[in-house]
Amino acid sequence: MHDKDSGRLTLPGDLGPECLREEWDVDIHSQESNVLAFWDTFEWGLWFGGHLLYSADGVYCLCTRDGGWLGTVLCEEPAGTMRRFWRDFETRGMRARLEGMLGLRGLAQVAEGTFTLRRCDVRNSDGKIVCRLEWSSVSAKRRDEDLLHSCRVLPLYGYEAEAARVVEHLIRHGASPSGDGPVEILLRHAGHVPRKYTLRPVFGLEMDTPAREAVGRIVRAILEIAECNVPGIVSDLDTEFLHDYRICLRKVRSVLNLVKDVYPAEEVRRLRGILGDLARQTNRLRDLDVYLMSRDEYLEMLPPVLRPALDTMFRDLSLERDREVRQATSKMHVASTRRLFREVLDYFSTETTHEPSPAADLPVGSLAFRSIYKRYRKIRGIASGIGDETTDEGVHRLRIECKKLRYLMEFFSELIPTEEVGGMLKQLRRLQNRLGEFNDARVQQRSLMNYWEQKRSGTKVALGVGGLIAVLYRNQQQTRGLIYKSLEGFCGGSTAASFKHAFKLPVLPP
Amino acid sequence: MKILSSYSIKGGVGKTALAVNLAFALREAGRRTLLLDMDPQGAATFYFRVASAEKFRMRDSDSLTEGLRRNIRESDFPGLDIIPSNLGYRHFDILLDGMAKRRRQLRKVLEEFKPDYDVILMDCPPNITLLSENVFRASDALLVPVIPTVLSRRTLEQLADFFRDEDLPVKKLRPFFSMVQKRNRMHREIMDDLPESYPGFLKTVIPFSAEVEKMGVHRMPLLAYSHASAAAIAYRSLCVEILSLAGP
Repeated sequence: MHDKDSGRLTLPGDLGPECLREEWDVDIHSQESNVLAFWDTFEWGLWFGGHLLYSADGVYCLCTRDGGWLGTVLCEEPAGTMRRFWRDFETRGMRARLEGMLGLRGLAQVAEGTFTLRRCDVRNSDGKIVCRLEWSSVSAKRRDEDLLHSCRVLPLYGYEAEAARVVEHLIRHGASPSGDGPVEILLRHAGHVPRKYTLRPVFGLEMDTPAREAVGRIVRAILEIAECNVPGIVSDLDTEFLHDYRICLRKVRSVLNLVKDVYPAEEVRRLRGILGDLARQTNRLRDLDVYLMSRDEYLEMLPPVLRPALDTMFRDLSLERDREVRQATSKMHVASTRRLFREVLDYFSTETTHEPSPAADLPVGSLAFRSIYKRYRKIRGIASGIGDETTDEGVHRLRIECKKLRYLMEFFSELIPTEEVGGMLKQLRRLQNRLGEFNDARVQQRSLMNYWEQKRSGTKVALGVGGLIAVLYRNQQQTRGLIYKSLEGFCGGSTAASFKHAFKLPVLPP
Repeated sequence: MKILSSYSIKGGVGKTALAVNLAFALREAGRRTLLLDMDPQGAATFYFRVASAEKFRMRDSDSLTEGLRRNIRESDFPGLDIIPSNLGYRHFDILLDGMAKRRRQLRKVLEEFKPDYDVILMDCPPNITLLSENVFRASDALLVPVIPTVLSRRTLEQLADFFRDEDLPVKKLRPFFSMVQKRNRMHREIMDDLPESYPGFLKTVIPFSAEVEKMGVHRMPLLAYSHASAAAIAYRSLCVEILSLAGP
């Protein structure tokens, strides 16, 4: 009925509501106690989405997050089976709210604590309740020691002045109006601090940063991200850990290849080889993840009568995935793999000295811009020859070049004025999406053919697989037309002028 | 939003007991309720342990609205607010007399509270004044407690006659039997006859109860401290009956 402005106070451990009896009558109700387990994703999707998800007494509750405090409960759902993804929840309210914050990420328990609550009514001399208090304490689940004592003051409407006097009284007795909330404290106790996760960290580059220093920073930052994804791959919490790990390995290989002569060429070859081997350990697993994630999409491509045929295929793929996860996990755990990763990391450590290289001390800005412009012109050259007769392999080569260009622009985005880069990246992304769809359709057709050739599991499966290949082929051909259109946008007039203006530099003196 | 009033020309018939307990029952039924104590005696205010309303200037309907709003107090029972009484309310007639549309001002003022409440319930003083006429026009239903005596029958007839003379819809009148003693033969006889003359007569009967008088000791509605008493059950039934008439 009334939007209540409640005050929150953190309290010294020995302060109880009895202290208010100096001025008011206080009814202290019986204590309630509950163990709450908090859940979030690796990316802290709920936390940064302004929400908290906890389970207690067999119920999942989604509430708003008020700093480090529990806010208003938005929806609840009885906990039955394990809920890991947003799709695992059953009620529409939960699913709708969680989908945007979780995406493809899986939930893991991030903290657990015992919340103890005593509700109190504070009465004036007429016996009228003027405010209510929620007197609480929080402890980590298996410890006796309380981590936080707090009090929430809920004024009754029309008695705000009296509630303010209650707050002042508590402050005089050692309460404090500020402080971390219980959820923050429990997270910290469990060793967690919510941090924004990104695949595009800031490297702190300037135009005149020496190239070797710049590339070193890029490699170290991206390898750090790769490393922090490994536990998630091993626990198989969700598919994004592997996806991001592989993107990181690809990016590091790419920056070493694209910004040349910064490190000794032999060493670069060797290290790129190591990174390629590390990535290959999980090639098949990633393919299987993509197919299994596309299951619903594939089924919709076929008429209902053919859909059951694909169930066999997906069952096979799922079993294969289980095997691949075990293999990938054991490969990643093996000492030799860890040593290889460490070897790459150590090479790029700030403490390691390296042999001289021609471009090591050159300002990275001009190197990067030249490389970007060169890539762009190469793409324009390839694009001019793209037509209906271009093979799938030819389109795939174009895609690789576009990916290299995009990586370069991302690595050095700090050096490119924002107003310039926005439009160029938008056109590039559009083109890349089309090229990606084309390539995915191509790879999926091949993969389905391989499956059929290996399994040969009956007429119905053949019909289903064949039907799918036909639809994918048709989609692929339709995408060609969209690629041509995107190429016009990317290689034409205003985008070409933007690239020239932003990246074409005078020729370096000999 | 519905506006209900607990009204009688006669005092001591259970008007305030009705207002206080019906407000509590409405809130129990999930209706956001505002109890407006218009009686300068302030008995309803006393029962809810609220201090008298702070004084405010009543120049016009805007200042009246603002003054009432400033005096809203949340009761001890979430979902039920009260605007306490004040001796200054005895000047209502003088204020209203000076306004245009002097018989309709109260409705206009109460409409301002529409977004915040599902029901406004007024506990009215026992008289017929300009304020009463405002109450008659503002209310969707006038709940009239009637002790089944000859004198009460006469009082009810006077009220009905007044409504007819002033072209007010008699169907707004919702009398009901209050403080009934079933062993009293006169009570029984009048209870058999009287409803026939008033189509809007409510069916629920509130029995006489010593428990009701203890509201002054407990300083809370009967329904809060004597949940299962006969009178408490009757008040709840009355609430259900009123809600079924008023719609959702």
